[in-house]
Amino acid sequence: MTLFEWLTDPANWTGSRGIPVQVGFHLLYTVISLAIASAIAIPLGIFIGFTGKGEAIVAGSANALRSLPTLGLLILLFLVLAPVIAGQLVFVVPTIIVLVLLAIPPILTGTYTGIQSADEAAVDAARGMGYTRTQILWRVQMPCALPLLISGLRGSTLQVVSTATVAAYLGLQGLGRYIIDGRAQADFAQMAGGALLVALLALALELLFSVLGKVLVSPGLRRTTRRRRTAPTDTATAALTTLTAAR
Amino acid sequence: MNIDWIWANLQPIGALFLNHIWLTVVPTVIGLVIAIPLGWWAHRSRRGGVVIIGAAGLLYTIPSLALFILLPAILGTRILDPLNIVIALTVYTVALLVRVVSDGLGSVPHDTVAAAEAMGYRGWQRLLLVELPVAVPVIIAGLRVAIVSNVSIVTMAALIGIPQLGTLFTQGFQLRLIVPLITGIVLCVVLAVIFDQVLIRIGHVASPWRRRDVPA
Amino acid sequence: MIRFESVSKVYDDGTTAVDNLNLEVPTGSLLALVGPSGCGKTTSLRMINRLIDATSGTITLDGVDVSSTDRVGLRRKIGYVIQHAGLFPHRTVVDNVAALPRLLGGDRKKTRARALELLELVGLDERFAHRYPWQLSGGQQQRVGVARALATDPPFLLMDEPFSAVDPIVRAQLQDEFLRLQGEIGKTIVMVTHDIDEALKLGDQVAVLRTGGVLAQFGTPLELLTRPVDTFVADFVGGARGYRALGFEQLSEETALTPHTPVKLDERVSDRGWVVVVDDKGRPLGWVDGGNARDASAATLHTTSRFLPLTASARELLDGALAGPGGTLGIVDADGVFVGVLSASSVVEAVQGAAA
Repeated sequence: MTLFEWLTDPANWTGSRGIPVQVGFHLLYTVISLAIASAIAIPLGIFIGFTGKGEAIVAGSANALRSLPTLGLLILLFLVLAPVIAGQLVFVVPTIIVLVLLAIPPILTGTYTGIQSADEAAVDAARGMGYTRTQILWRVQMPCALPLLISGLRGSTLQVVSTATVAAYLGLQGLGRYIIDGRAQADFAQMAGGALLVALLALALELLFSVLGKVLVSPGLRRTTRRRRTAPTDTATAALTTLTAAR
Repeated sequence: MNIDWIWANLQPIGALFLNHIWLTVVPTVIGLVIAIPLGWWAHRSRRGGVVIIGAAGLLYTIPSLALFILLPAILGTRILDPLNIVIALTVYTVALLVRVVSDGLGSVPHDTVAAAEAMGYRGWQRLLLVELPVAVPVIIAGLRVAIVSNVSIVTMAALIGIPQLGTLFTQGFQLRLIVPLITGIVLCVVLAVIFDQVLIRIGHVASPWRRRDVPA
Repeated sequence: MIRFESVSKVYDDGTTAVDNLNLEVPTGSLLALVGPSGCGKTTSLRMINRLIDATSGTITLDGVDVSSTDRVGLRRKIGYVIQHAGLFPHRTVVDNVAALPRLLGGDRKKTRARALELLELVGLDERFAHRYPWQLSGGQQQRVGVARALATDPPFLLMDEPFSAVDPIVRAQLQDEFLRLQGEIGKTIVMVTHDIDEALKLGDQVAVLRTGGVLAQFGTPLELLTRPVDTFVADFVGGARGYRALGFEQLSEETALTPHTPVKLDERVSDRGWVVVVDDKGRPLGWVDGGNARDASAATLHTTSRFLPLTASARELLDGALAGPGGTLGIVDADGVFVGVLSASSVVEAVQGAAA
């Protein structure tokens, strides 16, 4: 069977193991993990960006975290937690925990570097005009942080989609099933089909975020980096921290 | 915890470690070599920049496991061929570094470039003798991110049966043993730290005029 | 009125930024704080709206001690303009201007309408209203900054190097327009600048500070030019002081003009020297060189020389005469009608006569 035949076989599109169901599982894990990670990382990022506290720790651990192999982490957590969790949850809980852990750093760095990237002159002007600290945060710093916050979310999403694929190795549902099962059955068409679907899903989510950015971010912010030439290394690394580690 | 397992398997672990090193280093180096001219082009031509940086961003979104499997279909290689891993990681490295090289060249002060031009440097002389050296700190920063990520991405290849440190993870899973997992994770982190430190040193040697304050 | 009484600022590390400063800015006037970098001029400014707190001494606004008022409430009574304008990058121009009134609960439509009026007042074309800050030039951004500071019609205005980030030509233009604007709105203003010419041009009073935050001299621009207290102030004010001081002096209304008979367009020129050409109502059009031309026509008319009223500053009159044809300047009355000419030497005589 070829990749094309596998993709067009109606049998693969129906039933409890069909493509729509697996896409649904994949998205479900992604959404749950991102929601939990955001609930932790965004407030923490706001705190760090606003107070400047803990920045050194976060910046330092970001690169270290990147070197942690997600596959190893996933299996380790599974082996540790497996004895204490029953039923289908035995796959889901360790996976979600790992996905959340992986999703936090990009969102966190995106949020706090975003807040810090707000034009200092604009913040000073707001202070001088009589904005309170909270008003400055919500009306000046947060809108300016939005582009980097969204790119942090984007980085996390790719990371999560990618790692959720790997989690099929443990027995989890999702698009990774086709890859892992296909490998076990030496069914190349199924493997390649799964891989293609994951790649397409990642691209679709990427597209979604770029649309989200266009809708949410003020057009006034799309060019601000051009105006002020701050330390180029810092801007490049800030962009990288949110962009990378997407696998 | 069963430490004996490590002693009993010292030799295979060493082999996996060496495999991991070349699977990481080779694509990173090739990726850098490819990324420099591409990044230069992206920096020089506005349209080229949009196309290249955009394409790089898209390539980077493809999950590694998917790319490992799709490459044989595209290239006609065997699925178990380590070449797939090398090519996939090269793709990621290029995708990451094109942007970095372009940004790095963009960080060279206009005055410096104009001065080199006024002194009569040709285009390629200016790139090799002025712009690239000045962009070194930015490129090194990107390279550090690339190699550390690559150390982690390589482990995914264990799922399709390419031996390297990730193999310890699949073995640990099959044997329900924690020791191989911890061994693998620790070795990966150690390897990443070594690569990172080596690059920091190279960066210092390659940009002696710069004070030691390269951010992570 | 803004008043500084024995105000000092000492930072935690022991450095004194401002040392025992005493100043008074009458309502409706502009004080320029000027001095080299590190003289504490910006610190002094930022103590007024309590972006920095004074270590000792009191600053009062219309008799009210600022340290006794709530920071946020205080700042909302004081307009604030800074060097790079500090516009909100995510807001359009009109929304930047309307930001504070909106924050204070103003109606969306009304605040926008008012913002558009303010933009017109600062001389920004309406088509810029819905652009974002990055789409504007530095000078345009600065105009928006001024409009934003005026949005709640505060009685006081603080300006920190407002025009120093733009090129000299735009700067001069912004300064001229700002003088006109201040003539209309009459705010009580403190402005920080490192540019002594800007201070002398815009300030009703100028305070020169020296490094360490010590007041070197406080006076009108003319006082600084004619009677600097020491060499520091003299050096800081710079060269050509006597000539620049003429910019703040006027000739007596009785200064005698040299009679001069003008010709009209298309008339014959009988004189061999330079002759003023006027229109039917007697308003000057330019000069014609009788040595070269027989007729006063559009082709022979020289239009580069200015015609000034006697009320212009002595500096402008002297400069006009020195640059004028044959060393003379054409003088017009309040209606713009040509009344006679003045030579450079007669301007100098008139100035000396006034000084004697």
